Amino acid sequence: MSQAQRRAEPGAGGSAGRGPFRLRAEVVESEALPAVHHRVVLRAPEIAACAQPGQFVHIWCHPPAEIDRPPCDALLRRPYSISRLRPPDGVEILLRVRGVGGRLLAAKTVGDALDVIGPLGNGFRTWPDIGVAVVVAGGIGLAPVPALIARLAASGARVVLLAGAETDEKIPFRVERPRAGRATLPEVAALGAEVTFVSESVEGILITEVVALRLDELPEEGSAMFACGPRAMLKRLAEVASGHIPLQVSLEERMACGLGACRSCVVPVRCDNGTAYKTVCRDGPVFDAAEIDWERLTP
Amino acid sequence: MTAPDTAVSIGSMSMKNPVMIASGIFGYGDEFRGLAEYGELGALVLKTVTRQPREGNPPGHRTVETPAGMLNAIGLENVGLEAFVRDKLPAALEYGTNIVASIAGEAVEEFAECARALDGTGVAAIEINISCPNVKKGGMAFGVDAGASAEVAAAVRAATGKPIIAKLTPNVTDIAGVAVACERAGADAVSLVNTFSAMAIDVESRRPLLAAGSGGLSGPAIRPAAVYRVYQVAQAVEVPVIGMGVIWNASDALEFIIAGASAVAVGTALYADPAAGNRVLNGIRDYLESHSIARLSDIVGSVEL
Repeated sequence: MSQAQRRAEPGAGGSAGRGPFRLRAEVVESEALPAVHHRVVLRAPEIAACAQPGQFVHIWCHPPAEIDRPPCDALLRRPYSISRLRPPDGVEILLRVRGVGGRLLAAKTVGDALDVIGPLGNGFRTWPDIGVAVVVAGGIGLAPVPALIARLAASGARVVLLAGAETDEKIPFRVERPRAGRATLPEVAALGAEVTFVSESVEGILITEVVALRLDELPEEGSAMFACGPRAMLKRLAEVASGHIPLQVSLEERMACGLGACRSCVVPVRCDNGTAYKTVCRDGPVFDAAEIDWERLTP
Repeated sequence: MTAPDTAVSIGSMSMKNPVMIASGIFGYGDEFRGLAEYGELGALVLKTVTRQPREGNPPGHRTVETPAGMLNAIGLENVGLEAFVRDKLPAALEYGTNIVASIAGEAVEEFAECARALDGTGVAAIEINISCPNVKKGGMAFGVDAGASAEVAAAVRAATGKPIIAKLTPNVTDIAGVAVACERAGADAVSLVNTFSAMAIDVESRRPLLAAGSGGLSGPAIRPAAVYRVYQVAQAVEVPVIGMGVIWNASDALEFIIAGASAVAVGTALYADPAAGNRVLNGIRDYLESHSIARLSDIVGSVEL
């Protein structure tokens, strides 16, 4: 049973001005992926109905019924990007299992329930007349990419995904390397993107350098870039894109509330009189690259 | 049996029940809107404001989780007094319960200025934050010294007719001594504990996990230490004591109440469960009913040694 407990006032977070909702969401799919990745689909109708690509959900990793007992580990909720919407009411997340929160989530089985708040934050902004959409992702930064590609492809854009990682094991998708031609990610390509994947260990090149080489191919009008991944990658992309193509980046930071109240997850943004701080959880996680003060952003 | 009487008074502030939201957790009230019925609670304490806006600590990790706890070093980031009164307070007052402003400053006069500016507003009480461990000037520097704490309390007392609550740090040898000094200087209540100064280190980089180096520890790890300090202070002062230190459920709240707290504030638990305060309140009511206790005040400080 997935049931909305509360509905927020308009404007209380969420790029569509709806939500956030707090739900008891049933796990409808749970699958271990290659390396240390895991895929979970939650039945969350209220979230699925209004979630935008790039928004996230905040999950209490213990059983919902145990929320009245403070745990020793995973005391706080964990933020996860919404990876895909699975109609009619499914919300998919992809995680890299590396800490206690991820281990708890990966141990959930179909029929288990999770206490979820979402959709949270501001997602990627898309518009109808994007001609070529370049999506750049690094490592687990691929997590929110499927929903974004689906949205962009549906709007009629030509979608080019340039993805990279240290090794093939650092991404939540299967890598296919044809004898001739570029490595690709078949599951992502199936969503309507032309995919290029490079790993430092095999191809020996950073995805940011692929982006720099291919930037000239883009039409001057109607192109847009979207990125999610490590901060070093995003910072390099901001340099490459500056003055050439509008770039939106999705940032990560440790959070506590996920709602903009606790000011844990601030990043420096440029403003008229220097720098100000904005929250990743509520003002982001997606920002215009031009807005971020990259010099002051911690690596 | 009629419903138990849960009312509590802090000076002239009447609360319908003893459950508050602690400062710093809830922002200015707007961020959590819609996720629980916050108006049902006794009082909501908003994030600390200072006379001028503050950026807080540099970006980087401001929060890290530790076993049974969390460290924070936000550094009193806030919009400043003027924007608080103009932009934040009106919406908070719409919750329909007591709104408590929390103030801090680097100098005594700054506390007084904030209090004067809030005197004409709709806030029900003013909490003086003399216990923040995460700022270089002011903050805990006042709270670790009974004389300096009293000076702040007296200056705020002279600046406002609103009830004032002194929020105390546990990072002292004699917390009861600081509480008594605040009481004598005119505080209507004391609230405790703020966080414990603490550090966590990444053994690979050999650097602190918090960007600021050290921070304040909250979480279930500190609860027994907080309960004991509430007990010590309640033995020493006449004014009401507001207890806090990871109140996650009604049993936790009742521990503080039985130790001597007249009211309790829910903090970190709100991050896991935005309705934690309401859940705690319902649990307290259930306890009073099931134990045939007519008035909450009957069990305040009732611990038997």
